[in-house]
Amino acid sequence: MQTDNHILMKSISFSPKNNSIRKTYKRIEPVFYIGPAFLVLAVILIYPLGYSLWLSLHEWMLRTFRQGIPWVGLKNYLALLSNTEFLNSLQITFTFMFFAISLEFILGMGLALLLDHDLRGKTFFRSMILLPMMCTNVVIGLTFRLLLNYQYGFVNFILTGIGLPPIEWLSNPAWAMRAVVLVDVWNTTSFVALLLLAGLQSLPDEPYEAARIDGASGWQTFLYLTLPLLRNTILVVLLWRVIDTFRIFDVIYLLTAGGPARATETVSIYIYRYGFQSFNLGFASAVSYIMILIMLLVAGVLARIIGRMDEL
Amino acid sequence: MSAYKFSKIVKSILIYSALILAVILSIFPIVYLLVTSFKPPELTFEPSQWIFRPTLKNYQDVFAGGTFIRYFLNSSIIALTTTFFALILGSFAGYGFARFRFRGSLWMRLGSLVPQMLPPITIIVPLYVLFNSISLIDSRWALVISYLTFSVPLAIWMMTGFFLDLHPELEESAMIDGCSRFEALIRINLPLVAPGLAATAILCFLYCWNEFLYAVILTGRDSRTLPVTITSFMTNKAILWGRIAAAGSLVLVPVLIFALLAQRWLVRGLSRGAIKG
Repeated sequence: MQTDNHILMKSISFSPKNNSIRKTYKRIEPVFYIGPAFLVLAVILIYPLGYSLWLSLHEWMLRTFRQGIPWVGLKNYLALLSNTEFLNSLQITFTFMFFAISLEFILGMGLALLLDHDLRGKTFFRSMILLPMMCTNVVIGLTFRLLLNYQYGFVNFILTGIGLPPIEWLSNPAWAMRAVVLVDVWNTTSFVALLLLAGLQSLPDEPYEAARIDGASGWQTFLYLTLPLLRNTILVVLLWRVIDTFRIFDVIYLLTAGGPARATETVSIYIYRYGFQSFNLGFASAVSYIMILIMLLVAGVLARIIGRMDEL
Repeated sequence: MSAYKFSKIVKSILIYSALILAVILSIFPIVYLLVTSFKPPELTFEPSQWIFRPTLKNYQDVFAGGTFIRYFLNSSIIALTTTFFALILGSFAGYGFARFRFRGSLWMRLGSLVPQMLPPITIIVPLYVLFNSISLIDSRWALVISYLTFSVPLAIWMMTGFFLDLHPELEESAMIDGCSRFEALIRINLPLVAPGLAATAILCFLYCWNEFLYAVILTGRDSRTLPVTITSFMTNKAILWGRIAAAGSLVLVPVLIFALLAQRWLVRGLSRGAIKG
């Protein structure tokens, strides 16, 4: 491709007559650069996505698949609508997303505003705060499982030390959800803070001077100036967080494995249970497709908003 | 001392205390893991015990049998190979998106993120079947191929941001001097965008190094990676916390040190992507 490109360019530049070839070349030039990546992605993904769609329209069970894999049409999808465990897992995923992302934004914005001051040792603070987002999820899940252990965990040790009752972090359904949110907040607040900080630092100075001259309070400046100016950054960060929390698997799987009593069973863990523990692949694939559709819908809406602002 | 100055001092004390608290909360779990890894096994469940004679017993147990080294190598090779391919594909596509505006280019750029959005759990069953049928199951290539689905979109996204930062005049003048666009990209743009390449590489590497779900399903004895190895210390009889802590530290510490050393590039790379995105 590289030599083709080269020769083509040369021949064109030495022959002024070939104007139309030149035009065509200009039109297809992006393909040389963008094409390979898209081709590779398509080759890798086309079979899995196609096969998964096929599976979702068939009945594939470990017990019966040797006798045949009957076509069942939309049966798997229809079964989902009335499956309380699936609806439960959806509800849990969205609850988790809502609380985790809200807390991460509040704390992340706070951290970003703090770091936006002129500080001594700024690099030190920033790099320390950055560490959690680099950690391996498996290690995070297991470390917190140890920290949050009811009897031997450090967190309950501190709680009882200051006179509070110990908490059944991982064995009480209500607390398990909070524990999972807490761990995700620990893990990714730094990511949110980092991107918001970069956004803050890219803001122009002039509006702030004007606001100061007009006597705006710090809170007013934040609400009416910083937030609107940061809108684009906030939306992009939100997009990333929505994508990541919606499919969360490993941290929760190692922390609670979806329990107790399915209190933290997100859609990913639900699919895992059907696909790799019950080996009901048709059903698991149907859930997968629903999950992909929801993801595309949410991401599409967010991307549309971002795209519209790009044109402004 | 004037009231203004006084309030200024109070303010900076508050800012520093809040930041120090954030630092403590951020690193405490990591420190706790490291401390636990050096604790003798009988003290693992004594959270109050911070003074003890450190032991390397847990580390010896982890290395016993020699498989840990092999899995360490697996993790490194898989992450490096994936990063290599993702960087090549991502740089060209990123350059393409940064320099050419055509109808639907913004949508194509957003579309390139779709593979990264796909929850791994949704494509893992068919991938398993696919790799099984071409005898790639439990091979390093199976993981490299799977990891390309998220690392290529990541590389495209980040490199687009970095190329947008470069002024097109440089390569245009090179092209007037007779370079083809491709030569200009290789000789002029790539060297200039090297910090961005480094940031992208580190991030791709981290994602692959940390990945668990694909690895647990697509690998067996031979091509297992470190995150899966750690979970193998959760046996049916007991959870071997000492070994988990030691293995966990061995997985975390190298990448954390690496990430700290490269953090300036990393921060810039991440934020560039987000803002220019």
